[in-house]
Amino acid sequence: MDSLHAIGFYVSSGVLLIGALGVALLPRRGMRGAALAISGLGLAGVYYSLSAGFVGAIAFVCYLGCALMVAGPQYRTVEAVAGSAWRQVGAIGAALLLGVLAFSAFRGDFVSATFKGGPFDAVALGRLLFAHDVVATEAVALLGLIAIAGAAAAWRLRDRTSAR
Amino acid sequence: MTAGLVAVFFVACAMIAVGVFGAAWRRDVSAAVPTIPLMFAGAGIAFAGVARFAAAGGTHLLGQEFAVLLAVAAVALVALGLGIAGREGNR
Repeated sequence: MDSLHAIGFYVSSGVLLIGALGVALLPRRGMRGAALAISGLGLAGVYYSLSAGFVGAIAFVCYLGCALMVAGPQYRTVEAVAGSAWRQVGAIGAALLLGVLAFSAFRGDFVSATFKGGPFDAVALGRLLFAHDVVATEAVALLGLIAIAGAAAAWRLRDRTSAR
Repeated sequence: MTAGLVAVFFVACAMIAVGVFGAAWRRDVSAAVPTIPLMFAGAGIAFAGVARFAAAGGTHLLGQEFAVLLAVAAVALVALGLGIAGREGNR
């Protein structure tokens, strides 16, 4: 990776992590949606600096869609049943997870190989998605269909119940 | 200045930890659901990093393919999570 790509990687990583912290910590849904869009932009930059421009474009569109759903006017507040002690245990667990993952990344010994693809290898990726691993692609498409149909059904049931 | 697989893994594990933290810390379920894409983004970055730096032999784009599928699955799960949460919640 040359210097320009390395600078792009670190800048995009900073944008991504700032957006992610905003999603986790900001109080209002509009701000959380904006933070998710910012993290999508940073994620696209990270992917582009890793010679995965096509993945970056898809991820940006997907995270923009997530941001619109989070910031949309149909948002509802649902209180969780878990107490504050369990939430604090979960937060400490997240810190421990970060420590373990960072330690294993730092101490690990990885194979190094030369990357032969281009920065935006959409043809090869499409060949993988729609020919080599078409079952995985269809499974994710089915998941998306079920999720959207389930979300639409849930909203319709709610609207019907509230209209009565 | 250069960036290698270890730097990519550091960013990936930071994203996963921020996502887990947000999911555990948020009292509102609708606010916890958007942290799912953060965890998926961390996993996708790790896969894309391996595809870029350490895919010796075989298909070099397998990690990128998995990152695409993770991004699409993240949108689906956010839609489903917000839909189910919105059915039960108050505006």
